[in-house]
Amino acid sequence: MKKVLFVCSGGMSSEIVVNALKKEAGKHGQDLDVKAVGSSEVDAELDHHWDAIMVAPQIRHRFKGIKEKADEHGVPCGSIPAQAYNPLGGPTLLKALNELIS
Amino acid sequence: MAKFTDFLEEKVSNPMARLAEQRHLLAIRDGVISSLPFIIVGSFFLLIASPPLPESWAITQWAADNAAEILIPYRMTMFIMSLYVAFGIGYNLAQSYKVDPLSGAQIAVASLLLTITPTVIDELFYLPMEFLGGSGLFVTIIVSILSVEIFRICKQKGITIKLPDAVPKSVSRSFEALIPVAIVIVLMTLITVVIGVNLHTVVEKLAAPLVTAGDSLFGVLVPVFLITFFWSFGIHGVSVVGSVARPVWEVYLLNNGEAAAAGEILPHVAPEPLYQWFIWVGGSGATLGLVIVMILFARSKYLKNLGRTVSVPALFNINEPVIFGLPIVLNPILIIPFIITPIVLAIISYFATSIGLVSPTFIRAPWTLPAPIGAYLATGGDWRAILLVLVNIAISVAIYFPFFKVYDRKMVDLETEEDNTAP
Repeated sequence: MKKVLFVCSGGMSSEIVVNALKKEAGKHGQDLDVKAVGSSEVDAELDHHWDAIMVAPQIRHRFKGIKEKADEHGVPCGSIPAQAYNPLGGPTLLKALNELIS
Repeated sequence: MAKFTDFLEEKVSNPMARLAEQRHLLAIRDGVISSLPFIIVGSFFLLIASPPLPESWAITQWAADNAAEILIPYRMTMFIMSLYVAFGIGYNLAQSYKVDPLSGAQIAVASLLLTITPTVIDELFYLPMEFLGGSGLFVTIIVSILSVEIFRICKQKGITIKLPDAVPKSVSRSFEALIPVAIVIVLMTLITVVIGVNLHTVVEKLAAPLVTAGDSLFGVLVPVFLITFFWSFGIHGVSVVGSVARPVWEVYLLNNGEAAAAGEILPHVAPEPLYQWFIWVGGSGATLGLVIVMILFARSKYLKNLGRTVSVPALFNINEPVIFGLPIVLNPILIIPFIITPIVLAIISYFATSIGLVSPTFIRAPWTLPAPIGAYLATGGDWRAILLVLVNIAISVAIYFPFFKVYDRKMVDLETEEDNTAP
């Protein structure tokens, strides 16, 4: 099972997107554990062995800082494509995630 | 058009968003945000002390008779908010410098406490609590940053007492803080006790123009415009603008709370709940109206489907799915109502509040409540606030409708084209 961390401003909106991703992953038989957090919680989460960190488009001005921290911990970190950041964006989201992990 | 948006994004929006990521602004933002649970819970005791019920009821009578006791939890949280904020700023700033955050938080609290002097009555010491509330917030920001800067410079330049490695870490950490703590305490004592400057009155005078400006109609419209401007590029507007504006908004909220507790007229129109409940109905851009239009009038299959899936989050003011799903981001048709609607709602809500049609806000309710409930609570239980929210929703529906129809038609054309070309 892959562990994925979603980061947005407060951890609320990414929760909705997380559900879209899980649903799509389920269709393809991929087992995912996805958690949504706010950007201020990233520091505390980094020690919890994530397979990937994905940053929401609306906080892309914070992406560089988050990526630097993720790099220190050796966790792949990518941004969530803006057009996939909605409840219907599952397919694009899963594709972006698999590209990031592989 | 594309060139123009590229220019705006490259030269205006991105640099401003990066500015909000500046270390000290970030520490202030996270410090203030860390205190919000205490403001939310503390402010509700203001509501309990004067419940929105008929005056003749026994419970209203009881609350009035026991107001001083009921307000004690409020006095120990929201009323002395600056104490919590100092701790939060000190912690976050120290953490960003990768020096011990707990020491940073404690040094910030000490420097704030040393801006006030206790009075002695019958050999007992009393602290003037009023300086630890809204009027003390700017001083808090200044001395917290100053003291943590002293702490981290000492640490980075090696101006600390170092103990051998064999000493336990918790012991050596407290020794490391000795010299910076001494510098901060001596400095603050010099200012407050020896020279006898009351930093609070000095800063209050300096900040007065800012506090007046932010509470004017123009002072409301500027952040309202900027927040949707950022979102038009897909950047979290409240997160960016709030970094700069939230301390001022908090001052309004705390001052209004103090006035409510004292039974006086509320002095400010524009604490953050004004924006939250009356302007950002359904999220930044007042998109609840757009979602209603989408559910009722969408012909495009995609938009109809999207309208259904985003409706529930929209009720709770979560609208990223709307902003990125439609999308509104970089969409020249929908950006127009997305920017105009909140400006219209801001003007209406500002005047409705300032001429007394609706009570000013002084309670902070969790931002994920549906707007009518949030507005009712934030105004201390004013039913007219619910009416204003409903009027604002109707107006946002009216403004979004024509623009949405244009976009919907475009989407329908695209969808039929795709159907026709599909094998």
